[in-house]
Amino acid sequence: MDFTYTDDQKMLKEAARRFLAGACPNVEWYLEMEKEEKGYTPALWNGMAELGWMGILFPEEYGGIGGSVLDMVTLMEEMGYAALPGPYFSTVILGGCTILTAGSDAQKQEFLPKIAEGSLRMTLALTEPATTQYNPSLITVKAKAEGDSYVIDGTKLFVPDANVSDWMVVAARTAGKDADRDGISLFLVDTKSPGIGISLLKTVAGDKQCEVVFKKVKVPKANLLGEPGKGFAAIEKTLEIAAVAKCAEMLGGSNKVMELAVAYAKERVQFGKAIGTFQAVQHLCANMKMATEQSIYITYKAAWMIDQGMPEARKFAAVAKTWVSEAYKKVALIGHQIFGGTGYIVEHAMPIYSRRAKAGEYAFGSPNYQREIVARELGL
Amino acid sequence: MAWDFGYTKEEDAYKQKVAAFLDKELTEEIARQNWEDLGLDAEGRAFGKKLYEAGLLGWSWPVEYGGKGLSPIYDFILIDELGKRWSAHVPNDVAYTMVGHTILRRGNDAMKKEFIPRIVRGEIEFGLGYTEPEAGSDLANMKMTAIDQGDTYLINGQKTFNTESHYSDYHWLAAKTDLKASPYKGISLFIVDQRAPGITIRPMITMSGERTNEVFYDDVKVPKNRLVGEVNKGFYYMMEALMSERNYVFTPSRYYPYLNMIIDYAKKTTYQGKPLSEDPMVRQKIAQIAVEIETTQLLSDHARWMEWNHQTMTCEPEITKVVISEMEQRMVDNAMQILDQYCQLEEGSKHVPLKGRIEWEFLHSFMTTIGAGTSEVGRTVIATRGLGLPRG
Repeated sequence: MDFTYTDDQKMLKEAARRFLAGACPNVEWYLEMEKEEKGYTPALWNGMAELGWMGILFPEEYGGIGGSVLDMVTLMEEMGYAALPGPYFSTVILGGCTILTAGSDAQKQEFLPKIAEGSLRMTLALTEPATTQYNPSLITVKAKAEGDSYVIDGTKLFVPDANVSDWMVVAARTAGKDADRDGISLFLVDTKSPGIGISLLKTVAGDKQCEVVFKKVKVPKANLLGEPGKGFAAIEKTLEIAAVAKCAEMLGGSNKVMELAVAYAKERVQFGKAIGTFQAVQHLCANMKMATEQSIYITYKAAWMIDQGMPEARKFAAVAKTWVSEAYKKVALIGHQIFGGTGYIVEHAMPIYSRRAKAGEYAFGSPNYQREIVARELGL
Repeated sequence: MAWDFGYTKEEDAYKQKVAAFLDKELTEEIARQNWEDLGLDAEGRAFGKKLYEAGLLGWSWPVEYGGKGLSPIYDFILIDELGKRWSAHVPNDVAYTMVGHTILRRGNDAMKKEFIPRIVRGEIEFGLGYTEPEAGSDLANMKMTAIDQGDTYLINGQKTFNTESHYSDYHWLAAKTDLKASPYKGISLFIVDQRAPGITIRPMITMSGERTNEVFYDDVKVPKNRLVGEVNKGFYYMMEALMSERNYVFTPSRYYPYLNMIIDYAKKTTYQGKPLSEDPMVRQKIAQIAVEIETTQLLSDHARWMEWNHQTMTCEPEITKVVISEMEQRMVDNAMQILDQYCQLEEGSKHVPLKGRIEWEFLHSFMTTIGAGTSEVGRTVIATRGLGLPRG
């Protein structure tokens, strides 16, 4: 057993902390990014690409740096700490990982180096209005084979960053009945294809989640990602990594909230004393510390298990997503409690984090959804 | 150096060996004596001896006292494997996981030679003698006195909640040796023969049926060589040992048997013609139990890892302690909701499910957030030592 970062991970962490502190300067900037339709700046995006972050998970032959899931999680934790906005997650994890898992060599050669150099943004169109669940067998958007193409019809909902994506991976049913595991296919779809309508949703976190409507969207058969009808496993793999990556992001946010609130408790004076001397406040801080500690190790264990190719990774990813989602929510609530009225003001950092905690809780499976996975993995 | 949540080949081999032995030798009766603090009787002592003879005790102890000189991870593996089989600790728990370590750290050579080999062989047990009627959370407020009389100390006073005293061989006793000094600088530790003249042990029966004791000292003479380390350093030794002791005592693995039991129950019990395991509410509750056990196990793994790597622990084992004890209460509440009305039935009752373990655990779980330090004291430790908040 070992609970330490490698030297490379330490360097990555420090570099990320430094870069993001400069790139995401203050609350006003975050609020501007939330109002802004794109939600990030080219300078931020290019800076991250120059640091090699876009290719962190891709092998060198595809322009990446051949990092592990543990490396990615290390970086993601810093992104959560900095509350990084923009389509990094959707491009690298949702788009990139799915191509890496399911794509042909030609598709990998075409897409991954572009992602790695920062010239391509992507996302994954998976959940739908009727279910909003991440279970791929619930997909009802249809893709019908017509000559050299497939024609996609239907609506995807809560698609992150579709508004700024150049391409998206779309999961659609090509065969089988509703709720069948088989019959789900993945397609690489150019977001500028005729028939695609993207509308930005207004969300609690001010992130860029979209409705994507497909009206007779033609996709060449060559854009099929993996075998037709066999997309289920690839999506599950991506979701497993995405859940753990989201945990790392939430863990970083949790750490940041705790840091801010504890620092405030040490300096804020009421009744002639720093409020941190009061046990009522101390115990709230202890609750933050416990919830956050418990988040660290489960996140890193799940990442480690994915790297090791362990079958229990699925259960542990679900355990992590359940725990960390609820822990971050709790930590954010306590943070507000300690800051009192001042943390309720829109220009304060607290709302940036507490609103994201809510978005994170529902991304890639809420605790209720994840507990169902755990139940299944326990043999129930 | 890199994140790693697995065991080495050698550690894994030991784990397999322990598992195979326990599956064969650890009966439910012995596990219960241990888990329910019913005491270490003849069977428990025989089991401790067997554990030693099978070559499974002492791997983490110094070679010169009969150990193998390896990392504490081996003892943690042993405790975890016991925990997975309803047994919370090694049979001579206080000796092996608490007192022995302080003797090694602070005892003189003669004391080490006298006690450590017997601890490593699983032969002797100690009872903790800290708490007094006026010294609960405020342990330094103890009143028991040990007066220097040349060759001996003369001890008088009363201890309470001394759980092991009715079956232990020795009392690990804290008493005041300097009545004028501040409480933190006037306490010393002693090893006292538990059956010494002048000691009276009276049972206190808890709501879950475990026995703990009041122990009265009336002019008890204790030889000088039974003073542990230096005089008046006792409180410091107790605090120094506290974090490590939590690493050994608060073992999340002991909740896996409950989880497995409830899973089994949900699969085999039908409600309105369907197994309970198909009820989404039941599935959610069981999954939540699993989530909390797995995440707590990692808190424990991390704190223990800090210990065997000689890192300074500020509050990590305290976190395990507070989390685990509150988790236990949530776990039993979830389990009772799954059993519904049957959760009230105690062992021996007609219709009792799961041998009444859940009902017993419900009663037991009131203690967990109090014993060995309340959750409130724990949170204050985490806030002040872990997060650096100022003391009030």
